[in-house]
Amino acid sequence: MSLSAENLLDLYRTMLLIRRFEETAFIKATEGIYANYHGGMGQEAIPAGVCHGLKATDKTMITHRGLGVLLARGITVEQIFAGLYAKLTSPTRGRIPVYHMGEPDLGILAGTSMVGSVVPLAVGSALADQLAGHNNVTISFFGDGAVNRGDVHEGMNLACVRKLPIVFFCENNFYAKSTPLELSTAGGSIVARAQGYGIEGHLIDGNDVTTVHEATQHAIERARAGDGPTFIECETYRWTPHSTAGDREFARTEEELAQWKAKCPIKRLEKQLLDSNQASADQLQKIDQEILAQVEQAIDFAAAAPYAPRETAIENVYR
Amino acid sequence: MREITYQAAIRETLGEELRRDEKVIVMGEDIGDFGGLTETTIGLIDEFGPKRIIETPISECGFVGAAIGAAIQGVRPVVELGLADVILVAMDQIVNTAAKMNYFYDGKSSVPVVFRVWSGFRPSGGPQQSQSNEAMFAHVPGLKVVMPSTAYDLKGLLKSAIRDDNPVVFYEPKGVYQNTSSVPDDDYVIPLGLADVKREGDDATIIAMGAMVPTALAAAEELSKDGISVDVVDPRTLRPLDTDTLVASVSKTGRCIIVHEANTFGGFGGEIAATLADLAFDKLKAPIKRIGGLEAPVPVSPSLEGAAVPGQDDIIETVRALI
Repeated sequence: MSLSAENLLDLYRTMLLIRRFEETAFIKATEGIYANYHGGMGQEAIPAGVCHGLKATDKTMITHRGLGVLLARGITVEQIFAGLYAKLTSPTRGRIPVYHMGEPDLGILAGTSMVGSVVPLAVGSALADQLAGHNNVTISFFGDGAVNRGDVHEGMNLACVRKLPIVFFCENNFYAKSTPLELSTAGGSIVARAQGYGIEGHLIDGNDVTTVHEATQHAIERARAGDGPTFIECETYRWTPHSTAGDREFARTEEELAQWKAKCPIKRLEKQLLDSNQASADQLQKIDQEILAQVEQAIDFAAAAPYAPRETAIENVYR
Repeated sequence: MREITYQAAIRETLGEELRRDEKVIVMGEDIGDFGGLTETTIGLIDEFGPKRIIETPISECGFVGAAIGAAIQGVRPVVELGLADVILVAMDQIVNTAAKMNYFYDGKSSVPVVFRVWSGFRPSGGPQQSQSNEAMFAHVPGLKVVMPSTAYDLKGLLKSAIRDDNPVVFYEPKGVYQNTSSVPDDDYVIPLGLADVKREGDDATIIAMGAMVPTALAAAEELSKDGISVDVVDPRTLRPLDTDTLVASVSKTGRCIIVHEANTFGGFGGEIAATLADLAFDKLKAPIKRIGGLEAPVPVSPSLEGAAVPGQDDIIETVRALI
């Protein structure tokens, strides 16, 4: 099923919203307003392409670099900035890092800080849907840095044994914090591991939103049909350091970054839309202006919002 | 009233809860036809099928994480981990995930999951099959920790744990597994966070946990022959802890001995001692004493078994020395 011009514009809008959010979020972090921000700039095709067309009852489990997924699933840029500023007006009430946010109404599962430990949790979500006979799918995002964790293997194995409705989505940006893939991952291929579980595995271009979307849709259809998990590895690259918490670049070079910036997912879709006359330059510029205004408002909103009162620190430790 | 073993009470409770609420499932290794390491799931797969009795691969991080993930979606998994030593394999998922999820979801979801563990000393067990690690989990906000010592308590507390919307680490001490007690046929629950006075006396309070409860009761019986009468109090739940019952008993007797299988240093007895020093200091006639297992890995040699866990004589001597 090919994407209509309207679909492509939606994807463009989502990617650009994430990009403008990421840019501002990075600047605010470097200004010291908050620390420890894990930027996903350059990887926008993934949240946009994967989440496009998901039902609210489908689930997404993110990593700490997954704020774009939250935006693609309907959390507003205001809510996320309020979360980054650790303010009361965020769905987190500012009590927890924004990537730990859980929003059941939007199908957003709360993630963890322990790289890879999200996979068994996502598997449990798929198990719950299978037990209940619901036709929902869980998307379990993780990075190349997670694939050597026992949790990831254990979760994937369990999901495959029980043919759970889940998509394992590996965002391979080639570096686990500072460690390059070849120093961390044996066998020379992440996607090859799918074979070991007896499931379909696909290696795709993670900077092409159409490819990301179509590969995910194929996996989702399999899951909904009861055919069990699919493994997708997409190759991509983050344009900013691992985090803003004093992370320096070691292995990554300016040359490598420039090569990947030339494969910018937004520029690629922009070119496609313009070349095929599916959108005009004016139209795209207008979208950008709207988004920029939205991000600016969100910053003002977050800056002006109050912090959580002291007594909230011990709320909801237990039910 | 009929008498059944602690082990039989577990099996019965699981069956009754599975029948009562279709959201309840059981997960763990070898829990299908084999009936589990503890033989407490025998027959469940025949009645409830493999959809709800989920026999898992040996992958504690995987299936514990999956149980937590399913619980967040409203499933109520009862996870059998077998030996208490094994729960440490999945400690990240329990401490970093299960215990935090109510906080993360901030009231929008909950984590109704029970982790059952078979704890404490067993002959031939050794350093990695005989541990009592309840204090590690009792330390964690967001978790509840339960350790029943009788079949009656087990049944009421396991039902409460399964019906609770929080993650519960449920300790089943091996030392009481074959002990019997009177258990009614009717459905009953014992609220989490309620201690039980197992025997009443005036001269001292023995606060005993798990397999040390029958040992403390036997010690109390011996002491009574010399005219020394003691309260034996079983906290039953470590977190939340029923401080009121403990304080009331110690306020009455003025003396307190705390006994558990776990080694003393950093053990749960320290938390109880500190709580009593805080809340009942002016009622104490003597220092609070703690009796625990060896400050060493639990040995396997029959000649060392006696040293591994506190015995009746250790308790008797300590009580006598205080009076």
